[in-house]
Amino acid sequence: MTDTIRALLTSRSVWIALVVLVVLSTLPWVVSAYILGVLTIAYYFGVFAMSWDLLFGFANEVNFGPTFLIGTGAYAAGLLNAHGVPMWVCLIAGGAAALLGGVALAVPALRLTGPYFGLTTLVAVLLLQQFIVIFASSTGGEIGLTMNDILSTEAITNYWYALAFMTVCGAILFTLSRSPVGLILQASGQDRIGASALGFNVVKHKLAAFCISAVFSGLAGAMMVFYLGTASVGTVVDVSVGVQVIIAAVLGGRRTIVGAAIGSIFLILAGEALRPLGQLSTFVVSGIALLVILFFVDGLMGLLLRRREEP
Amino acid sequence: MPDPRAPAPAAEASVPLLDVQGLTKRFGGLVAAKDITFQIRSGEILGLIGPNGSGKSTVMQLIMGLHRPNAGEVRIAGVNVAGWPPHRIARQGVGIVFQHSRPLHRQTVLENIMLGLLPDKLLKLVASRHVHEQARQIAERVGLGGVLDRKPNTLAFADLRRMELAKAIARDPQVVLVDEPFAGLTSGEVHAFAQLIADFRTDGRAVLLVDHNVKSIASLADRVFAMYLGERIAEGTAEEVTRDPTVRRVYLGGGIEIASRPTRPARSAPLLQVEDVSVLYGKAQALERVSIHVDQGECVAVVGLNGAGKTTLFNAISGLVTYSGRISWDNRDLRGRSPAAIARGGVVQCPETRELFGEMSVRENLDLAGQHLTEAQAAEQLEWLYDLFPRLRDRERQAARTMSGGEQQMLAIARSLMMRPKLLILDEPTLGLAPVILEQISNALEQLRNTTSITVLLGEQNVTFALPHADRIYVMEHARIVWEGEPSAFAAEVAATYL
Amino acid sequence: MLTVQILIDGFAISALYGLGAVGFTLMFGVSGVLNLAHGATMVVAAVTAWVVAGQYAANPWVAAVAGTVAGVLTAFATYLLVVRPIQRSSSVPAAEREIFVLTGTLLWGIMIQEAVAYFYTDNPKTVRPLIAGIMQIGGVRTPINELLIAVICWAVIGSLWLLVNRSKAGKVLLAASINPRALSILGFELSRVYLLVWTIYGVLAGIAGVLLATFLGASSAQASQLTASAFSIVVLGGLGSVYGSLLAAYVVGYLETLTAYLISPTYRTVPALVLLVLVVYVRPHGLLGRR
Repeated sequence: MTDTIRALLTSRSVWIALVVLVVLSTLPWVVSAYILGVLTIAYYFGVFAMSWDLLFGFANEVNFGPTFLIGTGAYAAGLLNAHGVPMWVCLIAGGAAALLGGVALAVPALRLTGPYFGLTTLVAVLLLQQFIVIFASSTGGEIGLTMNDILSTEAITNYWYALAFMTVCGAILFTLSRSPVGLILQASGQDRIGASALGFNVVKHKLAAFCISAVFSGLAGAMMVFYLGTASVGTVVDVSVGVQVIIAAVLGGRRTIVGAAIGSIFLILAGEALRPLGQLSTFVVSGIALLVILFFVDGLMGLLLRRREEP
Repeated sequence: MPDPRAPAPAAEASVPLLDVQGLTKRFGGLVAAKDITFQIRSGEILGLIGPNGSGKSTVMQLIMGLHRPNAGEVRIAGVNVAGWPPHRIARQGVGIVFQHSRPLHRQTVLENIMLGLLPDKLLKLVASRHVHEQARQIAERVGLGGVLDRKPNTLAFADLRRMELAKAIARDPQVVLVDEPFAGLTSGEVHAFAQLIADFRTDGRAVLLVDHNVKSIASLADRVFAMYLGERIAEGTAEEVTRDPTVRRVYLGGGIEIASRPTRPARSAPLLQVEDVSVLYGKAQALERVSIHVDQGECVAVVGLNGAGKTTLFNAISGLVTYSGRISWDNRDLRGRSPAAIARGGVVQCPETRELFGEMSVRENLDLAGQHLTEAQAAEQLEWLYDLFPRLRDRERQAARTMSGGEQQMLAIARSLMMRPKLLILDEPTLGLAPVILEQISNALEQLRNTTSITVLLGEQNVTFALPHADRIYVMEHARIVWEGEPSAFAAEVAATYL
Repeated sequence: MLTVQILIDGFAISALYGLGAVGFTLMFGVSGVLNLAHGATMVVAAVTAWVVAGQYAANPWVAAVAGTVAGVLTAFATYLLVVRPIQRSSSVPAAEREIFVLTGTLLWGIMIQEAVAYFYTDNPKTVRPLIAGIMQIGGVRTPINELLIAVICWAVIGSLWLLVNRSKAGKVLLAASINPRALSILGFELSRVYLLVWTIYGVLAGIAGVLLATFLGASSAQASQLTASAFSIVVLGGLGSVYGSLLAAYVVGYLETLTAYLISPTYRTVPALVLLVLVVYVRPHGLLGRR
């Protein structure tokens, strides 16, 4: 037990995360309600990105359609709520629905290699999107679904909910990544045969990684629609949202968990800051992300941690 | 952990720790392993040897469950594990050291070893105290005590191999499989490793050493099992197997005979000069300060077993790997030139793997190689090659991958010749071919040398094939040149100790 | 009547899909790159044709050529600015190279899309048909342009076939898709081979984009949908198989046309998606794929 705690305390990532959290906690007294709203979205995005990083950084599976899991959770919660189910039950149901989605995604994943798995994940998103559009009468289609309940009408309360949610999810995911389970996952992802030869059932562990990623994504998706008050394709299902999740995680630094959250906050704030540019804001953000991929492969965390070992 | 200095426990006369019976594996039409049977008892080391393609690696992979056998049984202390998935076999008591180290790059040495001690559970959030301590002890035992907190990319090659050993024995397996135990190690390191492996014997484990070279494991192995083309060809002590005529023929290609050869002109200017060239594959020393030269019109043979470094040397000359040192061709430094430019400059390699365009026909393969020539030159060259290898003319329209091994080799050589090379590098042209085809290729090579002024650099394991053609011979072993001289001197000085 | 209508419309749209898909799959087969900026490349070609036809009042054929050239330039830019630097980068681990290239082309595609939208808005752009007029076929009034599109697409695909199977350069491309290392030791500079394949890709995507503009119109907002269509078709047909892509293009094209006419235009894309899911679960190599 003490070894794990010692490992966490000496980890630079943990200290960086703590510093950032402290700063973020002071913001309600410093910035406007509008900015708090932007950050609230960023925190939910942070959970999306951290879940993605667990799957990619550890199990080594690139999910090109994280919004399949996010959207499934969000819409499951939304649809139930539209029929009068209480919010807490909807949240749990959202997580459960996403879990089923994760399992459905894992099945072909574990048989496919190379680009085929990535394509499967993208196809899943397109399918979900079509599904929602076709059954527009129940789902609200392109316009969206209005929720009956909402987390809170106060910007500050919403902010705390989101920050707390991100912190808890982040803590769990990070601890997982540094635990023996995380070690086994990394081994399964990096070297399937080597991990098998050491006695690990790789399939079981990858499936577990999918399930964990799915539950957190779905739960965060559900939380977010209860914050926004509506569930729509444009906010939780669209491929472009998924792309932003991936960019956030890569920008922040793959395989760090903490980086994914930081990357999300950076990305969403940058998007806001560039809003005066109007249409060009997406262009600039994508451009920055492209430059990161070309020149700063290890992302923000890579710069902050400045790995001193030679490659 | 058993005390390594204690005497070995008496070998159980009843149940061997590893019992392989009738193990067979087919990959499509190819029989990789046929009816392989052997036992290893507690405290015994068995050496499994054979050249490339003999099936020895397949047997090891079958034992570990990396492939499913078509027939046969594999018993670990009496339990038949044939057909089990690898992770179950590992937990049943088998540890494997792969030929190439496979560390987890983002974890420390300690964490890498700890992995070998963790249970296969989904919910292990905290490792027991016990596991850390055990991992530390194992690391100390193999000599990694001082580098526990380092990441693999900072470790020396030998330490990476030590870590593989540590991972393999972490769960105290009854059976240990080691693939090419000494590849890439310096002689001092070899000694240390041999000691570690001998300690396994003292622990009472059953050890299977897989290698292509009897010499390297001769001192360690209690018994040796030799394979060729998937079948057993000899079994016994290291000495018995080395002297076995079938084994000698398989490795050397037969008796050493020196045929009389037309006299070549006295030493002309060196065409190819390789000076002090070294190559590192990651951390492994694939080539260590090798110097050779090939003169105009010569046929120089580089002989050595698999892994000696012949292919690496050729790849360095062809510009396919990075190297330190100097390689000059026709007095010009080849460094910095692309492989394609080097090939166009007259140095053409026919690689060991042949690298044919399988889905394309014989004619298409040859035409591609002839694209740098004019139409007339290409047509003329094609005719000449068809005369040299009549079989290719018959199979002009056939897809390359549907041809037999011998025909593919002929096509590969013909394709290289289509480029009208000044220097032809032939890497293991006889690998896996039947004697009849060997003769045809040998004749073609002879004709080539008699009718053209081509210079040839031949890499071969099969010494009998190489000797009649060679003007000079270099012998390579463990990434170094260990002997240089004329064929006549080879028979006298080296042949006896070659194997 | 309706049958003939479906047959004709289906044929034309499938031909257009086929052209785009063939370029996409050729790129993958020879250089291993899945170019997610595909749709954006087509859009650039379409919009360039529109600009040249509109602002410079050029005749449609000149505009078409200008559009195709724009397609080639975009392809070069994609290769030289995004794909090649990533492939040569030493800080990207070899195992992740494919993913980085994928993400890089995705981002680049988004950048192009947004740039086009910024300068020219995301309204659909159409170009006057290359040949105006209507024809009667089997009792159905069909725009001549639609037939011309099918003819042009097949002419281009046919030329590609001739190039690959009958020309020297084509044989080199074919060889590169089988074994690039062997080409290298036979004296062919791989860098030149890759430039060639990107050029061919640019021409194919460019023509497809221009034709799309004359037929249905193209807008920057469609870029991702176009990419998604192309690789759904390519996966269905089998990654790397040109014949597979053509076959799949026709399957998808006709499924879409049938659905649009017989059920509703809104559900156009559904059957193809369902088919794709089936393929991915049951036969991931696609209809004619080999790997």
